[in-house]
Amino acid sequence: MTTTRIAIASALAAALVLPAAAQAQGNMEKCYGVAKAGKNDCQTAHSSCAGTSKKDQQADAWISVPKGVCEKLVGGKLSTG
Amino acid sequence: MPLALPDLQAAFAAHLAGADRPDLAAGVLGDAIPSAARLRVYRHHVQESLASALAATFPTVQAVVGSDFFRALARAFVAENLPRQPVLAEYGEDFPAFVAGYEPARGLPYLADVARLDWALNAAFHASTDERLAAADLAALPADRLLSLRLVLASGTALVSSAHPLDRIWAASQPGAPEGTVDLDAAGAHLLVLRRPDDAAFVVLSPPEARFVDGIALGKTLEEAAAWVDGEFDLTAGFARLLNLGAFAALQ
Repeated sequence: MTTTRIAIASALAAALVLPAAAQAQGNMEKCYGVAKAGKNDCQTAHSSCAGTSKKDQQADAWISVPKGVCEKLVGGKLSTG
Repeated sequence: MPLALPDLQAAFAAHLAGADRPDLAAGVLGDAIPSAARLRVYRHHVQESLASALAATFPTVQAVVGSDFFRALARAFVAENLPRQPVLAEYGEDFPAFVAGYEPARGLPYLADVARLDWALNAAFHASTDERLAAADLAALPADRLLSLRLVLASGTALVSSAHPLDRIWAASQPGAPEGTVDLDAAGAHLLVLRRPDDAAFVVLSPPEARFVDGIALGKTLEEAAAWVDGEFDLTAGFARLLNLGAFAALQ
């Protein structure tokens, strides 16, 4: 084995024998979790009656501008373009 | 004259995607509700349902741009990308790429990355919780074998790298996020999305950790992936952390 191989092998092997206490910390590592509601294939969050309007969406939706939290993202504000 | 069935079906699909097909009306019953209105009801329902499915899959994108903008964006996507399979949770794989090219969102260069993160979280959430590789599984392997091992990322595990501070953008977009702004000029982020027993989640990786994971995802051996990382990298700590997170699939 070359020195590099030995160094890598040692470093990898050391990861496998870290004390259990150190390993347990991994399970408690802060994650950003996402819990989702179930999604039904036949209907979404709307009732199955959603969208029964006889008219198509108004065309002015196309010129809508972002109004969400992008306001909080400095430099992320959109000019309508 | 009514259309032949294949033409009728093609015309109906085109109508659902938003095309103007007056020739369809001849094949549709019209009584109290005229046939053209019936067709619009159907189209509206399909587009609204798919837009709602996209809102459920891409909640952070919607939070960033607001529901009106999202609706317009989703409808533009739906018109060009009707589902090709029946599972709504699997609908929207091409949405991030669509967002990247969506002209009205040009001023939000990070938005496509937000969509990629939402998609990865959605995919992880619907991924299997099958067995993960544990440190103990490798403890008995001889050094040669360990070096030449090619690990596979666990179901749902995905690396989402962004030139923008994606973790902070995500956090600021959550319901109840504290007031305050996110500096978009801050450094980019490497996020590792994971399927956990009860949910999907992500952690922030250091650049060397991300490079190591990327190497493994590309099919490199542990030795090759470790050598591929440039700069300072604590391989022991990084590898232990990834094992503890359950980032790798159990050996076959």
